[in-house]
Amino acid sequence: MDTLIGIINYVVFFAITAGTYGVLALGLNIQWGYTGLFNIGIAGFYAVGAYAAALVSGPPPSVWDGRICGGFELPFIVGLLAAAIVCGIIAFLIGIPTLRLRSDYLAIATIGIAETIRLVLKNESWLTNGVWGLQQIPSPFYDPIHGGIREFLSNNPDLPGWIHGLFSKAYNWFYLFLVLAILFVLYLIVERLVHSPWGRVLKAIREDEDAVAMSGKNTFSFKLQALVLGAMIMGIGGGLYAYYARFISPASFKPLYGTFLVWVMLILGGSGNNRGAILGSFVVWGIWAGTDFLTGYFPFSATQAASLRVIIIGVLLEVILLWRPQGLLQRERKPSKTL
Amino acid sequence: MDILSRIPQLLVYGVISGSILSLGGIGVSLTYSILGFSNFAYGDVMALGAYIALGLFTLFVSWSIPNIPLGPLSFGFGFILAAIFAIGLTAVAVVLIDRILFKRLRHYSSVILMMSSIGVALALRNILQFFWGPQPHYYIERIQIATVIPGLGIRIKPDQVFIVLVTIVLVVLVHAFLKYTKMGKAMRATADNNALARVTGINTNRVIVWTWVIGGALAATAGILAGIENKFITPELGWQMLLSIFAAVVLGGIGNPYGAIVGGMVIGIAEEVSTAFIPTGYKPAVAFIIMILMLLVKPTGLLGKRR
Amino acid sequence: MSLLTVNAVTSGYGDMEILHGVSIEVGAGEIITVIGPNGAGKSTLMKTIFGLLTPTAGQITFAEEEITGLSPNLVVRRGMGYVPQVENIFPSLTVHENLEMGAFILTDDFSGQLEEIYELFPILKDRRKQRVGKMSGGERQMVAMGRALMLDPKLLMLDEPSAALAPNLAAMIFERIVAINASGVAILIVEQNAKESLKLSDRGYVLASGRNRFEDTGENLLANEDVGQLYLGG
Repeated sequence: MDTLIGIINYVVFFAITAGTYGVLALGLNIQWGYTGLFNIGIAGFYAVGAYAAALVSGPPPSVWDGRICGGFELPFIVGLLAAAIVCGIIAFLIGIPTLRLRSDYLAIATIGIAETIRLVLKNESWLTNGVWGLQQIPSPFYDPIHGGIREFLSNNPDLPGWIHGLFSKAYNWFYLFLVLAILFVLYLIVERLVHSPWGRVLKAIREDEDAVAMSGKNTFSFKLQALVLGAMIMGIGGGLYAYYARFISPASFKPLYGTFLVWVMLILGGSGNNRGAILGSFVVWGIWAGTDFLTGYFPFSATQAASLRVIIIGVLLEVILLWRPQGLLQRERKPSKTL
Repeated sequence: MDILSRIPQLLVYGVISGSILSLGGIGVSLTYSILGFSNFAYGDVMALGAYIALGLFTLFVSWSIPNIPLGPLSFGFGFILAAIFAIGLTAVAVVLIDRILFKRLRHYSSVILMMSSIGVALALRNILQFFWGPQPHYYIERIQIATVIPGLGIRIKPDQVFIVLVTIVLVVLVHAFLKYTKMGKAMRATADNNALARVTGINTNRVIVWTWVIGGALAATAGILAGIENKFITPELGWQMLLSIFAAVVLGGIGNPYGAIVGGMVIGIAEEVSTAFIPTGYKPAVAFIIMILMLLVKPTGLLGKRR
Repeated sequence: MSLLTVNAVTSGYGDMEILHGVSIEVGAGEIITVIGPNGAGKSTLMKTIFGLLTPTAGQITFAEEEITGLSPNLVVRRGMGYVPQVENIFPSLTVHENLEMGAFILTDDFSGQLEEIYELFPILKDRRKQRVGKMSGGERQMVAMGRALMLDPKLLMLDEPSAALAPNLAAMIFERIVAINASGVAILIVEQNAKESLKLSDRGYVLASGRNRFEDTGENLLANEDVGQLYLGG
């Protein structure tokens, strides 16, 4: 029974993380899958979103904090909105100088920007509390739900042990529901957008930007919109992470790994396909978590196991590119030069 | 006043780190101009070279191969031998990666190749971490005393002179190769116009192999020199330098190996001198800012002309 | 007995078929011009012969051996030279180095060949250390042709050799083409500047919409009124 409870709790935790990655993958899908923008700075937007949500919803700076900002204790929805808006603004500012560049330069520029964001988060303690991070980020409805459950459990001490085990973590089920609901809403919104005339222009830009430009459309403006919208969604993903983890610091956002995972998720699922983005997140996160389990059976050290996971994901990417580059859910057409 | 007095020493540090960046930049430039994509695995190939050298050296020591000291340098003949083998092995590894992977993806756009190279980068880095662990490994055996050059008030170590000399020698060799040998000219021709090179009958396949060999060898050398300069290596060493190398290449003109040398020096010096004015925590951002400025003002770079 | 035979070749780019069954012949030592309006498939024809495009139907025979779909670096070895219309030189290499690249597949000394090229284009000899990227259009065209001649081909294919050249330079190029032909090299020219080219051609073909339309001697095509109105710009 206990192992079953353990498994259920793990699955919930797994699904929350996979769902959060799904949100990120949706954002990347708009930027890369539909518009062909090579954004390697995903981790930067993710981090900014998390920090924005944390600063908006968290407690005011305590006497121990290095920071002097934030802590407005505003609700969950406001936090997510703030995350989206801040990311959108940053994406806008980044896009203006960089979107006119060729894809190689754009890629390098986005890495540099993500790096700079990471340095700012680490160094500007007045804003972010530096390496000590932000604590006590309030999960939405945590007190009522968790408190209520605890009260219920303590009022009924003679309930079987497994009910205690099952329900003590029940808040996470609520959070999972929240994440999946938000993911679903975002999915609907993005699906609507990409099947609109706006979305068709984006797809055309991806295939042949020059042709679109010659037909009179302002491709720069469309690309900027795609970048900003995608970034806003990524910001929401960051917020979802912050509210769940309740504590964030610059170390939580290993820059390249987070970014790389989302890319593999999207490519495996099928770039240009929103369901593929979500499917890819769950599959790749499953592989990531699964290898975590498997390496436990071998005499590897913790860092070795971590390295092995990355190697497996890296090899997975190459295998996909070599053998099924259109991903799992894309139609079986001959992949174009741009995938 | 205090800041100004530190500048000469920072300039010296800049030249040394700039030399290492230049070597890396030449490799990245050649790969870009001939193969058509920015190779994000380049930094981790540098780390690979550094670790193979370390591994071989440890092996040689255990085989009791004599490690004759080399004057004032902090390493001996045994290490040089390990380094040479490491450079060769790295070049072979890089060619193998191309044969197995990049060659089959060449018909895709450069963006796909870039994404693939990121996968290679992460895999390489973590393979190194798997075998050697994430902790820093000591690279040299003896602490060196720096020589003080009077008048200018700068200190310089024999190792650092070695680094700059090796860089100069390699740059001259690469230049001579590109300018005077048939394969070198064929490489320049292929970089100019890949389609025409094939039409002319140039064996572009062989050109590509040579490009990887030279690029891999330069990367390994840069990695080993970086280890000597930093005194210890970690698996992250390559990725940390990659942004600066890309900045150097963009600054000099992407696709132009000579530009990479200029760019490397400028970035190296700029990074070091900047520490006199801004917190060292932001040193990596300096390269990035210079690169962005260059892209906005003259995207073809200082010496660039193509595209 | 003809040097090059192209028989009912269909070819194109991806799903787009440009040539719908074109046939031409080039005899040893002949000068043949292919003319036609834009989009007729003239360049596509040359690229298909040289192996840059693979035909979907038809055969191509050169020096009595089939070369259909053979890759360019092998076609070059059979004795065919090709000068594309644009981007036909290596700009950052010198004149000498460009010519040297032309002889890349030769393993022995090519200085004899080099001297012949310099005789054909004396101005190149003076400029041989100059970077080709910095040279004028006419000089670049000479380098491009010289490069293709380094392997002493039996057939030289030129895609619009006088395009973007001032009339006097174009005339010079055509005059050089005659000189090259005089040494025994067959020449296949695709041209917009049809009149000048037909004047020095033994025979010519008119292509339109990817098909053969006319075939005759150079003189007759020039005199032909239909051809003149439709394709020679009156």
